[in-house]
Amino acid sequence: MNKYLISKKIVTNDLSTFYSFLIGLSVGITIGSIILLVQGQNPIEVFSLMLRLSVGSIKSISSSLNKATPLILAGLGISIINSVKLWNIGAEGQIFMGGIALNFMYISYEISNSKLSIILLLLSAFIGGSICILLPAAAKVLFGVNEIITTLLFNYIIIGFTVYLVNGPWKDPNSLNFPAATYVGKEVYLPTIFGRLSYGFIICILCTAGVYYLKEKSVFGYELRISGGSALTAIYAGINAKQKAFIAMLIGGGLAGLAGGVELLSQTHRVSTGLSQGFGYTAIIVAAITGMRPLGIFLVGSLFGALTIGGTVIQTMGVSSYIADVIQATTLFGALISQFFFTYKIMKVSEDV
Amino acid sequence: MFDIQLMGLLNATLQAATLLFIAALGELITEKSGILNLGVEGMISVGAVSGFMVAVNTGNLFLSVLIGIFSAALFSSLHAFVTVILKQDQTVSGLILTILGLSLSALMGKKYVGKKLPVKIESLIDIDEPSNIYEVLISQNYIFYLAIFLMVATSFILKKTMFGRRLEAVGEDSRAADSMGLNVNKTQFIATCVGGGFSGLAGVYLTLSYVPYWTDNMTSGRGWIALALVIFGGWKPYRTAIGAVLFGFLEALVPRLQTYGFELSPYLVKITPYAITIIILVVLTIYKGGRTGAPNNIGIPFFRENR
Repeated sequence: MNKYLISKKIVTNDLSTFYSFLIGLSVGITIGSIILLVQGQNPIEVFSLMLRLSVGSIKSISSSLNKATPLILAGLGISIINSVKLWNIGAEGQIFMGGIALNFMYISYEISNSKLSIILLLLSAFIGGSICILLPAAAKVLFGVNEIITTLLFNYIIIGFTVYLVNGPWKDPNSLNFPAATYVGKEVYLPTIFGRLSYGFIICILCTAGVYYLKEKSVFGYELRISGGSALTAIYAGINAKQKAFIAMLIGGGLAGLAGGVELLSQTHRVSTGLSQGFGYTAIIVAAITGMRPLGIFLVGSLFGALTIGGTVIQTMGVSSYIADVIQATTLFGALISQFFFTYKIMKVSEDV
Repeated sequence: MFDIQLMGLLNATLQAATLLFIAALGELITEKSGILNLGVEGMISVGAVSGFMVAVNTGNLFLSVLIGIFSAALFSSLHAFVTVILKQDQTVSGLILTILGLSLSALMGKKYVGKKLPVKIESLIDIDEPSNIYEVLISQNYIFYLAIFLMVATSFILKKTMFGRRLEAVGEDSRAADSMGLNVNKTQFIATCVGGGFSGLAGVYLTLSYVPYWTDNMTSGRGWIALALVIFGGWKPYRTAIGAVLFGFLEALVPRLQTYGFELSPYLVKITPYAITIIILVVLTIYKGGRTGAPNNIGIPFFRENR
């Protein structure tokens, strides 16, 4: 009888993550097509429409990149936290908290200089995101409380808090059908570069570069990797692993909060339950699929932004926008499966030996 | 009057606890084998929608429960394949199982939103307003008694049968289990699918009795609370049941607070079960120190040649 054993390949292809992403994407699109066929739609028609409406013109490309901005920012945050081998499932709540903190600053303080006030507002969004992850982070480093569950449960708390705010203290009396806070003033809107593309995307590029530097080139990033790798190594190297993990979590949460702030100032212009449409969850897929690489997060985030825009517009055809989520999730599953064949070799061994 | 209110609270507690407990028990079995499946939320959702669809189309209750369980088990086999056979990261795979489960069930159930159920899982004995504990206990839903049976059975199987001992051996030290001649992959694969089936049952209970209708994202974080429950219960069925009753009590109590005369915002009240879950989790972890009772090998893929 033959048995199969698997072992890690000694040499792995550097581009394997990229190849497995491509394979995963084709799996995702195939599954998406099957679902469309089952629902009585023509997949080619739907996908070409999605393509046209997401990247077919300057206007649609800029919409896609705007949509990508929160995905990339939150994904970068997740990747920083993952350098210490921890997970942040709470990006969704942190995005909302960023928006809430921003709006709180906006109504509390009046700053006449609009440029300065935009910067301060975005800073408060960042801090809002950090505050949102403060308790899970402290509980993790001090007592070892599972951060996956605590960050996730915070999503429900923050979204519940958002519902409370927009129905109660912050309710805009003019918004009758859809409970939402009052709009922020036009003077703090993030301006556009061209088409509909907001300056938020510039922030996104800067953050990608910053996170790349922080993770790959800086001493801090090195310390994070050591802290996440082995507790003993960290002690020998004189690194306070818990402190590094704590800081990484605050930065990661802050980036998700910043995503919420940028989204508010460039897209929704007010706090409502529509501030994030599952960006925090999609960001997890984006970060995981790229193996937590900042540049990869930027590229895949942009693509998924386009996919989300495409998913939104095909709703007019009677196709559920959940199809975009399904494609994204199955893409990651496909990538995970193909990643196996890049990192492992299968050996056939005889049992009789 | 007060008695009826109190019994109503107890009734609601048990109903909420049933769902949480079944899902948590399934996850407990999976985790005992050393596989962490964070996809509980997604699996419940898949079980819930497929059971609901079958019930609406056929009106056959037994078939809907069966299909609900089976489809969630099948869905969880995706996680089993990726993590057990292909040794990929369990956290990533489980998270995506949740996202995929929620979106897939929303797609599948799109035409079923707002549909009326022709059948519903019945109670053992129908009592409109139970007035004492005995009446509450005998007027529960069939699934409640099934959950109690599963609790006793799981505890027995884990402690007293070969399968249970093997499961534990694999979860505690897969290499030792392997050299003893146990098939680690097979055990973990089965445990993952059984866990999925339990989540499916929880899902069917959700749509065919507890709520009962279908809408997107109706699991509303219960799968995650179930995951917290496994930690709370220290990977022991009976303790997990106590936890489930406690969490079920929170879920039942919160919407009643206002009728008891507390002046609270209904929106803020809704978030308290999640907040209390976090607090309990933190307090419990501090109290137990490092000794949580988690299987030794949880989350670590098993490689045969790593000897």
